[in-house]
Amino acid sequence: MADIRITAEPTDHTRCRFVLPVPLLEGGARRFTNAAEAQGSPLVEGIFAIPGLGVSEVIVSGGTVTVVKTSTSTWQQVGKSVGDAIRSALTTGTTPVAARRVERTDAVLDDDVLYDRVADLFEAQVNPMVARHGGRIELIDVQDAVVLLRMSGGCQGCGMADVTLRQGIEAMLRQEVPEVQGITDITDHASGSNPYVSASKK
Amino acid sequence: MLLPSSTYRTSAFVAAARRLPLDLTVASDFPSTFQDARPDALTTFDFADPARAARQARTFHERHPVHAVVGMDDDTAVLAAAIARELELPGNPVAAMEAARDKHRQRRLLASAGVPIPAFSLHPVAEDPADAAAGARFPCVLKPLRLAASRGVIRADDPAGFVTAHGRLARILAEPEVAACGEPARHYLVEEFVPGVEVAVEGLVHGGELTVLAVFDKPDPLDGPFFEETIYLTPTRLPADARAAVASCAGQAARALGIERGPVHAEVRWNARGPWLIEVAARPIGGRCSAVLRFGEGLMSLEELLLRDALDLPVPSLERERGAAGVMMIPVPGAGVLRAVHGRAEAAAVPGVTDVAITAHPGERLVPWPEGARYPGFLFARGETPAAVEGALREAHRRLEFELDR
Repeated sequence: MADIRITAEPTDHTRCRFVLPVPLLEGGARRFTNAAEAQGSPLVEGIFAIPGLGVSEVIVSGGTVTVVKTSTSTWQQVGKSVGDAIRSALTTGTTPVAARRVERTDAVLDDDVLYDRVADLFEAQVNPMVARHGGRIELIDVQDAVVLLRMSGGCQGCGMADVTLRQGIEAMLRQEVPEVQGITDITDHASGSNPYVSASKK
Repeated sequence: MLLPSSTYRTSAFVAAARRLPLDLTVASDFPSTFQDARPDALTTFDFADPARAARQARTFHERHPVHAVVGMDDDTAVLAAAIARELELPGNPVAAMEAARDKHRQRRLLASAGVPIPAFSLHPVAEDPADAAAGARFPCVLKPLRLAASRGVIRADDPAGFVTAHGRLARILAEPEVAACGEPARHYLVEEFVPGVEVAVEGLVHGGELTVLAVFDKPDPLDGPFFEETIYLTPTRLPADARAAVASCAGQAARALGIERGPVHAEVRWNARGPWLIEVAARPIGGRCSAVLRFGEGLMSLEELLLRDALDLPVPSLERERGAAGVMMIPVPGAGVLRAVHGRAEAAAVPGVTDVAITAHPGERLVPWPEGARYPGFLFARGETPAAVEGALREAHRRLEFELDR
């Protein structure tokens, strides 16, 4: 595991995906917004512990670790530290990212309830709409009232995906499930091979 | 916000709008799948007919009042002006935006106002190119009136080259999506080629006066025969007197067209005879390139700055951040269908590189200039000096490998 290949794919100066050839978390995804939440997930604890990085969010989905930072350092400067933290966690022999906690706290109950309501909304309203453009929205999880989703088909890489996400899905969630606090899109838009609209103008 | 469905700028503008205290309505040329569910936030206008779009905006405004209208490219700048006039909102004169979009009308106004521009003449595409070539001075440049990103712009060094260039341009202008713009696709410009270095001026107009936000160097020579752009670097390395002359030339051009407010993007050449205005547009810098620009201590984006300006919200600063920054519009690696892009992580690892954005998708057909107008992606870098940034961009580009089916 120590020499595992990790590919860094910066989205912008705050957000970067670290892609591994092995899954870190079976099924679903987990989102962490502070070091306390990362307790029990050594891989994420290690990332939050990197000095000066100012990590504000870590999302683990399959073999992808998305890190959001507040520091002004470039990903070139800090990417190795993140890679080292990931590798270090993989060499300990312990589970690098704990599955979502199952104790029935109020927060989990709330997220479970929200998950069901969001899933219903996606199936009944959102997906029939985006299907007109060959798209599909997959609900990955709800964590701390934040919806994690992935866009596919015509939505993946579409030039108007952000309009669909913010003006359509987010607004609809605000109206129908007002307890939702936000949306995180974990789509790899660069790999979309059949976007409904491609950007083409200068 | 008038968002063409094919613009690169959706993410940046939507993200900027979310940071501001406003309710955003997106009007596009193609209906969103959520339009019926969100009729106050999403609508469709006829982008090809500004007068009709203005009437559609009037109908929308009666149900959902609009307080400002923002375009983001040459066409939507015209639409925004027409809608602002219809709704009696602050905006630019429609005639000014039409002139900014049409290269011939633009040149006539610039020449009348004494702005230094290359000699030019207008020709019907149907005219025998040998006749047009007989009246040309070489080297010259053939240009379409409307197309963006230097698409169809070709240098000719002699009459034979002129005829060849004309044939190529005529085929581009006959393509259905180009011919659909009507009369402008039936004419082209022949313009004197002006040697020299080229810079881009990014500015904001208030009350007809231009404030320069940034001047970009273009270190790769744009001598033709085609004019695909590559690297933009700011701050410019031009000396202070040249910078001032270039800024003055851009401001003169904005006034000549009658631009009263909002963004301006100008291309200016500089040689021993001074500045030469090549193009001026009433829109911000194109593609993903705006990500290079950040303003004030909060590193505000250009899009947020423009939205604040349009809504008369406070603009904390028009000062670009300290340090150098640059973008490379990744050159089209050849004609063919994109299969994969290798070396992204290696490119991102180059010191100073801040982002590697591949915008072409697997399976997409890449078309080189002058027929093409779409870059496969963008590289971004920041550093202490423009030279360091330029070096980082070139090294990152060297590490990318595009796999094509040719």
